[in-house]
Amino acid sequence: MSLRELFHNTTLADRIIFSLMIVLSLSGIAFIKEILPDNSTLHIYVDGRPAYILPLDKNRVVSVEGPQGKTVVEIKDHQVRIIESPCHNKLCIQTGWVSSGAIVCLPNRVVVTLGDPDKHKKTVDATTG
Amino acid sequence: MNIRQHVVDSRLVKAKRIVIICCLLSTVYCLLSTAFSCVPQKEKIFKKDKILMDTLVTITVVSDSKDTAEKAIDAAFSEIEYLEKLSNHYSPDSEITHINRNAGISEVKVSYDILKLLEKALYVSENTEGAFDITIGPVIALYDFHKKIRPDDGMIKKILPLVNYRDIIVNRGRSTVLLKRKGMLIDLGGIAKGYAADKAADTLKKQGVRSGLVAVAGDIKAFGLKPDEKPWKIGIRNPEAKNKEDDIMATIELEDMAISTSGDYERFFLSGGKRYHHLLNPKTGLSANECRSVSIITKEGAYADAFATGIFILGPEKGLKVLDKLGFEGMIIDSQGKPHLTQGIRERIEFKRTVS
Amino acid sequence: MQQQDKYRIALLSAFALGLHGFENLLPSPIPWLRLGLANIVTLITLLLYGMRPALMVTLIRVMLASLIAGSFLGPAFILSLGGGIASTLIMGFVLHIAPRLFSTMGLSIIGALFHNLAQLFLAYFLFIQRIEAILLITPVIILFGTLTGTVNGAVSALLMKNLIKYDQKVQNVNEVK
Repeated sequence: MSLRELFHNTTLADRIIFSLMIVLSLSGIAFIKEILPDNSTLHIYVDGRPAYILPLDKNRVVSVEGPQGKTVVEIKDHQVRIIESPCHNKLCIQTGWVSSGAIVCLPNRVVVTLGDPDKHKKTVDATTG
Repeated sequence: MNIRQHVVDSRLVKAKRIVIICCLLSTVYCLLSTAFSCVPQKEKIFKKDKILMDTLVTITVVSDSKDTAEKAIDAAFSEIEYLEKLSNHYSPDSEITHINRNAGISEVKVSYDILKLLEKALYVSENTEGAFDITIGPVIALYDFHKKIRPDDGMIKKILPLVNYRDIIVNRGRSTVLLKRKGMLIDLGGIAKGYAADKAADTLKKQGVRSGLVAVAGDIKAFGLKPDEKPWKIGIRNPEAKNKEDDIMATIELEDMAISTSGDYERFFLSGGKRYHHLLNPKTGLSANECRSVSIITKEGAYADAFATGIFILGPEKGLKVLDKLGFEGMIIDSQGKPHLTQGIRERIEFKRTVS
Repeated sequence: MQQQDKYRIALLSAFALGLHGFENLLPSPIPWLRLGLANIVTLITLLLYGMRPALMVTLIRVMLASLIAGSFLGPAFILSLGGGIASTLIMGFVLHIAPRLFSTMGLSIIGALFHNLAQLFLAYFLFIQRIEAILLITPVIILFGTLTGTVNGAVSALLMKNLIKYDQKVQNVNEVK
């Protein structure tokens, strides 16, 4: 009934399979840890510094303080938009809802970026124009 | 059955079993290795944004470690910051402001990058019949795109003589720049971003990055291939886009090239039914109206940026001739919305929907 | 099938079901990382009575467990069924072609491995079509599978040893009688 007895009862093939599976799974785990993908989160930067990192799954409204004033960001149904901003041309608000990419309020130095929800569907790496 | 045959039989059976087991194990091995090869390559794509040069700069690199990527990207951002300090004509300390202040007075000693920028700007001026001209500064100063102010014809006439790229005297030997007339102002807005993209990409390469994408707003420089061995794919914005869906009209893959687009929708205001945008014709002081957008592809970002501006002002026919002469690729969308393409870009560009 | 066999199968299935129920009472941080104690019964049935009874025991256990839990024909049921059948088949196959290559523990590990692999395949094709998610959890699942397979194998080996002793004792008694 002792462990030693049990061990003696195992064959070479047993031990090979056991060791092999342990090694494979451990290296698999280490491998996976290295290439962990970035899941769908929202990053808000003010003046280049991260102000918020939020998941997209909860509807909420947050505001950040930039040099010109308060910029208000809304998350709803996995999409993001800027509702309020002290900038002059309100281009950031006019962008409306986005589900990927970024919204920028240049005057107030606010950058709102989203991780791609589905990397495979992304068509372009950058846009000119 | 005698003993010998029995032994042989059992040996055969054993052999057969070993063969079957080997087949089984190799099948398992094959299955496992195919599963593992579906896993994305060890090299990953890292992206970082920063607001520099009054716009959003996005740098994307391919790297096998987050730390190397961050270090390289931050170094590239620093390089752009350095260039911004030199070239920003709104800043009181920049070398450009220094040159502008000494217009008509004396030559000014400048650093290597400013010298290079001016030389390239002059090259573009010469090749676009002066359509691209960094001495347009005084005229732009008459417009206010926020307050929707534009100058009247009298004001423009008075100030137009100050616009002449030939009045920029560059002395390579002494590393100096002189503006001949008092009141002249250099504005590097049409070339600085492209140049910055080039230098940032060089910085990334010096840091050991073998594949990356620098986007200074719409002035983009790409080098190397993505982890899936494909080139970087760039989207070209539709100048007539009414909503987000129409935003990208075409895509093109860039292999060690730069692309820049000049459009009448970037900085503008509408007044009295007319569109006043920031791409001014140096000969008239008014917004050029022969094109809606111009995209240029060439090796250097500085030239892509500057020629895009220059050709926008030149118009489609003259513009295409310039592109052919210099061997650049490009797409010009004229005021009617019709695209004019160079021969080379025809094969590489992919339109998202049928453009009439 | 003889009457005795039917009784055996029924009894063994009951044991398997019991073990399954007992296992469910144990708390676990991760929902699908289970000990699979019922597989001990499957393995022992396989060793003592052969493939067919082992399959029957597995099938009956899976069906009854899911009926009782109320998840019959649901995703958990499909995964359990797939895993159970795959592992039973593979263990039987290995026993058939190479009876002395693996010991009880080795068989249990192999069974656990294929149980997990089958479940991962089914999960991918039927429920989660995202290969990255599946590949992400595969190493962890295989690690746990190997460990639980070893533990189950040890228990099975011990049981086998005692059963044989018991069997011999009974036989001796019978012979004497």
